[in-house]
Amino acid sequence: MSSPHPTGGWPARLAIARRDLLEFVRDRRALFITLVMPMAMYPLLALSSTLGIRTAILELDRRQESQQLDFVFSGADAEPLAIRIGRLANREEGSPDGWPETVTVRVVDQLSAQSLIDEGAADAWIDVPDDSLSKLDGAGTLPLDVRLSTARPPDRRVKENVLAVMRGVADEARLARLRRAGLPTSLIEPLRIDFTGDIPQGSAAALRDILPAVTAAVLVLLALLTATGAFYPAIDAIAGEKERGTIETLLIAPCPMFDVVVGKFLAVFAVTLATLAANAISIVLTSTVLGRFLPGGIAASLRAGDLAACGLLTLVAFVGLAAVAAALCLTVTAAAKSAKEAQNTLTPVVMLIAALAGAALLPGAEGRRWLPAVPFAGHVAVAKSMLSTFGGWGDEGRSGAATIAQPATTIPVALVTSIISSLAITWLLLSVTAQIVANEEILFRGPEEATRGFRRPPRRGIPTVWQGCAAVAVGFAALWYAQGLAPREFVPALIVQQAVAVLIPLVAVAWWQRVDARETFALRWPATPWPRTAAAVVGAALLGCGMFVVGAAAALATWRGDVSPEAKQFAAQLVDLVRGGPTVVAVLLLAVMPAVCEELFFRGWVLSACAGQRPSSRRAVLAVVAQAAAFAAFHLLPERMPQTFMMGLVLGWLTLSTGSLLPAVVAHAVHNATPVLLVATAAAADLESPGEAGAGLPAWSVGAAVGCLAVGAALLAFARRTSPPKTDRT
Amino acid sequence: MIEVRDLVKEYRAGGGTTVRAVDGVSFHVADGEMVGLLGGNGAGKTTTMRIVATLLTPTSGMARVAGYDVRTDPIGVRRSLGYVSATTGVPDRLSPREVLDSSGRLHGIDGRLLSDRIIALTESLDLAGFLDRPCGRLSSGQRQRVSLARALVHDPPALVLDEPTSTLDVVGARDLFAMLQALRAEGRTILVSTHRLHEIEHRCDRFVIIDAGRIIASGTRAELVAGLPGGLEEAFFATIGGGAA
Repeated sequence: MSSPHPTGGWPARLAIARRDLLEFVRDRRALFITLVMPMAMYPLLALSSTLGIRTAILELDRRQESQQLDFVFSGADAEPLAIRIGRLANREEGSPDGWPETVTVRVVDQLSAQSLIDEGAADAWIDVPDDSLSKLDGAGTLPLDVRLSTARPPDRRVKENVLAVMRGVADEARLARLRRAGLPTSLIEPLRIDFTGDIPQGSAAALRDILPAVTAAVLVLLALLTATGAFYPAIDAIAGEKERGTIETLLIAPCPMFDVVVGKFLAVFAVTLATLAANAISIVLTSTVLGRFLPGGIAASLRAGDLAACGLLTLVAFVGLAAVAAALCLTVTAAAKSAKEAQNTLTPVVMLIAALAGAALLPGAEGRRWLPAVPFAGHVAVAKSMLSTFGGWGDEGRSGAATIAQPATTIPVALVTSIISSLAITWLLLSVTAQIVANEEILFRGPEEATRGFRRPPRRGIPTVWQGCAAVAVGFAALWYAQGLAPREFVPALIVQQAVAVLIPLVAVAWWQRVDARETFALRWPATPWPRTAAAVVGAALLGCGMFVVGAAAALATWRGDVSPEAKQFAAQLVDLVRGGPTVVAVLLLAVMPAVCEELFFRGWVLSACAGQRPSSRRAVLAVVAQAAAFAAFHLLPERMPQTFMMGLVLGWLTLSTGSLLPAVVAHAVHNATPVLLVATAAAADLESPGEAGAGLPAWSVGAAVGCLAVGAALLAFARRTSPPKTDRT
Repeated sequence: MIEVRDLVKEYRAGGGTTVRAVDGVSFHVADGEMVGLLGGNGAGKTTTMRIVATLLTPTSGMARVAGYDVRTDPIGVRRSLGYVSATTGVPDRLSPREVLDSSGRLHGIDGRLLSDRIIALTESLDLAGFLDRPCGRLSSGQRQRVSLARALVHDPPALVLDEPTSTLDVVGARDLFAMLQALRAEGRTILVSTHRLHEIEHRCDRFVIIDAGRIIASGTRAELVAGLPGGLEEAFFATIGGGAA
């Protein structure tokens, strides 16, 4: 009676997909949230944002239009001046350039003028001095005080309009003076410029400027919302089945686990695609409505046909995104035991997708070269490029977000690259998912296992690799926030940065993980007896000094003075700190404090976590490289990274080979103290005129540094050979 | 039909230790035989059943169904086996017809053959009254019948039922065992686990009693209760060394 029918393959996959889709479609709540909510969300978002956009665009248009200028004059010569202005406004050849559309001049006494300007009934008031016309028609200069009304709505054009009117009066006076002197008018008009063509003004110009950026932002939003379409079905697909107790009967289906996972993926993918389509249709319809609601220039630009084509192009570019999102959500929820647990695991996915999709907004992130292969960032970049080419927004090759159009041939290549990459990533994720689902320790584990990684572990010798990585991640996050928390002053900023980014995360994570501090931070003497300890310390100091000079020489030779403003500012702050206070304070702040904090963190926690108790040679090398890379990245400035990376390698090796953190702390401190002492002892004149940038260090100093390195290494070898380190980490 | 030999299953526990849930279990179920796997909670019944159903991989030992080894040919085992879990495992939002349809397709059956099979199961298990109603609205007994129908949709020679009566009332349990006896009469091999001994006492050909992962007794009812004043329940307690409840 054994089933004689062929099983597995596409019939089984489609059967599972059909079953899951039926279940999903009958869950009205999930259906509403996934498909209907976006349709309702876009009009609300559009309505709220459009009011602001409409106001801004109308304001732009208003500013582009010629405006009315309400003048009030007082004084004896007010009336003749007003007549001249009236004549200029009505002359046959047209008003002077920049002349407002209408100019109203009222001639009143001083008290009335004061009251009009205070009440905001006029834009500007000029109390015309006596004999003004004789000065204007003579050869003198007429001083005029213009008082602008502060009671009127703020408008920068008022001042421009006043100047335009007065420029017209002055030009007329100037011409009259030339005529009286018998000189040609060309004397003051060496150039006459006539423009042909027209530049988009007001809302049309605004649209041209903002449309690419708005499109890119909408694409990122679409990427996120498309991914959210995968959330519910992915949670339901595996974690939901586990929670409902239906997974077992599915897992004994006579087909490979990969087929089961592909079937589930197809269902999730179908819902994600439907979400994408619903979102794209909503965006197109919303944009059409917006086009009608916004001022005329924009309505003309957003044609319904073009919008539909844009929607289709986006759909094509985002099919791969839907597949990767569906597979990713399925993978991360596969290990969850319940829907709630699955929801928790999806939060980092949202962050990942948002970060990757948002990366496509960075200047220069175009849909070409390798970027289309990157999930989410590539999909958004390709869609952006397709839309900008279609819409012709990048024809002028302007720089900035989403404005560079792609050559026609690169778009299909980018699209194909994106699709192939999406297929590969999806297949990889589904393979991983099949492994996870088939893992019986995950499938039948207890509910408490989900939080095992977040429980305080029992006491242990050294941290695990994951704990090392977690500390680096926390440190990086803290470094980011430290930039905001740190005061602007250099010294407090240094202290806050070291405390927030290094010391506090280190203390917190070490306390929580309950590691053996002596073992983790290699808190022991590097050698015994004491003369050998002294040899190790002196050797480390020489290494530190030599590393700084050689590193500085290499940096000078590489950058030749062409460094970022941030690096220059950093150097200037260092010099100011050293020259502006006691040298001992500078040494403590710049050398001792970072040496202690950073060595405890990188050569202590991170290195011991990466190397483990008894590292093989390969693992020791990997551990040293990993912590050196993290150490270099912590220093943020690209110019310093090669030097700090090399330094991290040397200090890591020093710690592993001596089994003690002390040599690394000494080397680091001396490395940092060397420039402090050099600056402190240099003559002020040398610092103010350091010579030609990029000239490099004198050969003798580099030679001396190499000598320091050689002697230091020899001393360390001496200390190490005669007293083998007492740690497992060697 | 079902053969289990020296079966061992260890789980990883906290602190790097392992727990041996099944410890050298051996038994067999002959063709057309109905065997009851008895034991208390945590005795190792479900783990043994899951290994036989290919849901778990044994740490060591061997398990075969219809000649297929659970390690080397799990697909063959699954095609020869119908599995009913304690939770019934029927999706709430699907109807029994849809459950049977999707299960049949997973086993490579479709078209007319599948329709005929669904009709036959509907008649034999009396599903007609709720065939198109969502499973979420069915009673426990009805759900268990749907679960049994699904296990039979590909007409397997062997059935493995893990605590099938745990959610049923007395009437539901009686009906279910009546169905199982009918299936045995058709020639199917049945391995059923339970800790409600009175339900199963007179319905199985043989019994295997398991405690702390080991088989401590096996045989027919008559062999197990020989020399004891009561029925199977007394024999069970006497075997595992506990007092009567």
